[in-house]
Amino acid sequence: MIGDIFFELSVRSVKLNFTRSLLASIGIVIGVVAISTMGMLGTNMSLQVEDQLSASANTIVITADAIRMGPPGMSGSSSSSSSSGISKTQLNKIRTAVGENGTVIPLYSTSTQFTSGNIQGRGTIYGMNPSDVNEFLTIGNGTNIAGINEALVGLTLATSMGIDVGDRIKISSASEGPPTNNTASASRATITVVGIIDPRGTTSDSVSTDNGIVVSKEWYTAQYGGKDQYTQVNVLANEVDQIDEIEEQIESAVNTDKKKQSLRISDASSQLDTISSTLETLTLFCLAIGGISLVVAAVSIFNVMMMSVNERVQEIGILLSIGTETGEVRRMFLYEAFILGILGAGLGGLMSVVIGYSVVDAMIGTTEFFFMPASILYVPIGMIVGLVVCVISGLYPAWRASNMDPIDALRND
Amino acid sequence: MSDTPLIQLVDVTKTYHLESGDFTALNHVSLDIMENDFVAIMGPSGSGKSTMMNQLGILDVPTTGELYIDGKNVAKMTNIERTHLRRDTIGYIFQKFYLIPLLSAYENVEYPLILKNKTRDTTGRAAAMLEAVGIDREKSEHRPNQLSGGQQQRVAIARALVNDPKILLCDEPTGNLDKKTGFAIMDILCNLHKEGKTVILVTHDPKVAEYAQRTIRLDDGRIAEET
Repeated sequence: MIGDIFFELSVRSVKLNFTRSLLASIGIVIGVVAISTMGMLGTNMSLQVEDQLSASANTIVITADAIRMGPPGMSGSSSSSSSSGISKTQLNKIRTAVGENGTVIPLYSTSTQFTSGNIQGRGTIYGMNPSDVNEFLTIGNGTNIAGINEALVGLTLATSMGIDVGDRIKISSASEGPPTNNTASASRATITVVGIIDPRGTTSDSVSTDNGIVVSKEWYTAQYGGKDQYTQVNVLANEVDQIDEIEEQIESAVNTDKKKQSLRISDASSQLDTISSTLETLTLFCLAIGGISLVVAAVSIFNVMMMSVNERVQEIGILLSIGTETGEVRRMFLYEAFILGILGAGLGGLMSVVIGYSVVDAMIGTTEFFFMPASILYVPIGMIVGLVVCVISGLYPAWRASNMDPIDALRND
Repeated sequence: MSDTPLIQLVDVTKTYHLESGDFTALNHVSLDIMENDFVAIMGPSGSGKSTMMNQLGILDVPTTGELYIDGKNVAKMTNIERTHLRRDTIGYIFQKFYLIPLLSAYENVEYPLILKNKTRDTTGRAAAMLEAVGIDREKSEHRPNQLSGGQQQRVAIARALVNDPKILLCDEPTGNLDKKTGFAIMDILCNLHKEGKTVILVTHDPKVAEYAQRTIRLDDGRIAEET
């Protein structure tokens, strides 16, 4: 291409109308930046979620199907308290099914309101065996629960409400959780914070302690009732490879009768699939928006190319009359579109890295995954798409130039 | 030199379809031009000079009749064959020079060589051609708009000659030049004729036509007189 007289002519034509060419290329720059940034944003979101979910990849989550699915009686199933949770019998079956292959962690949870000092807050309260806390939670500051009135608080909640170790929190009994059958419980119980839980981010085990409180299961059932009606049971498999096997064993142990209410058994991979496909749709949508800007860019490139052809009619006439092949004239104009594309895609690529990095940092809060191949790949993809769009926009103008009648073209002043 | 004409028009008619009706620019014209002829084609405007020029330059094909150039029937050639015939057999010299504005004088002369050989010229032929028409090395780096009319026409002649064509087709070559420069250009064309080129000159200037051996007068699309 270098040394080709037609490429040389195209370069000079672009140079001659540099401002115009640059302005047209800016459309491509914007298109490339839009596509790469949107693509990278979506990919970084997916990568981050995947990373966080994979931290709990060895967790199987078992929930009772009917729990919190709607007002009692709506589904036609029994609305008695015995059906809204995992019973002790079921828990024991799970324990037997899992055996030595993992740790079984039964959990109570509900949404609640609470006050610390004068600040009111809302979040999830979890009741569990204090000995299970260290199986999957990390206490960053303070100690684990030892006494009945002690609690752990997630870092996000602690920060937003200014809670520190040693502070006291008043918990309201108003709950959306399992119907209480312990009417004697105090309406506003007080607990003492003994530890702060490290942030966990998005997790796949349905335990979001960042904005929650963890108490002992004894305190929880005393406050909310529902003893031995667990909200969920988490099974931490010793080996990730065994997940499917353990799930099958639990399934055959607890979901024997198809007519009876069954338990839902899920793990990170199924949740990951759902989230990934949602994010994929979102990314695709964002890419489509980026694509629209490229359509606009294509129009401006087309416009500039048509201007170039119309301004050079006589020159085209000279070229054709002294023996230039139509293919060579076509090539000259396609080169010109290609140069505009290289200009736009090159600038766009550079800006994509800078803008993409800033956007990912601002929107996701981390650029940890930015330079991973799946993410940074959108820069060359955006550049290639921009370049291809440019060349396609040049097809018609180039065809028009090469099909001119040399006599008419020469006469054009 | 063979006896077959280099250019042969056999009963050539060219009709243009205009909105106001058909217009016959050339009306049953037959003409033989032999190798190394120096022919002037004259006539008032609208007489068919330009149409004749386009036919001889293979920029157009006859509506009826036949045109042979170098023994080849132009109407039966494909587009690309006509393009190659133009490139290899005919050198064009125009009234308005028609140099390629984005290329330097040297590149303008090199251009037909590149078309033919598909590669930049390394033989020095383009430079030699420029020197032969009196354009020095410094001037040859200039773009056409930095050259005078006479210089541009010299560059155009060098370009026309660079592929060693048999035919030189000149359309009012002195029309945009002052008298003195015009004579200088005509001297170059005369020398080229002496060197064996077939020169065809389209002009309305009788002084220019005097250089030719044959003069063909066109009127209303027909050959009115041949001397």
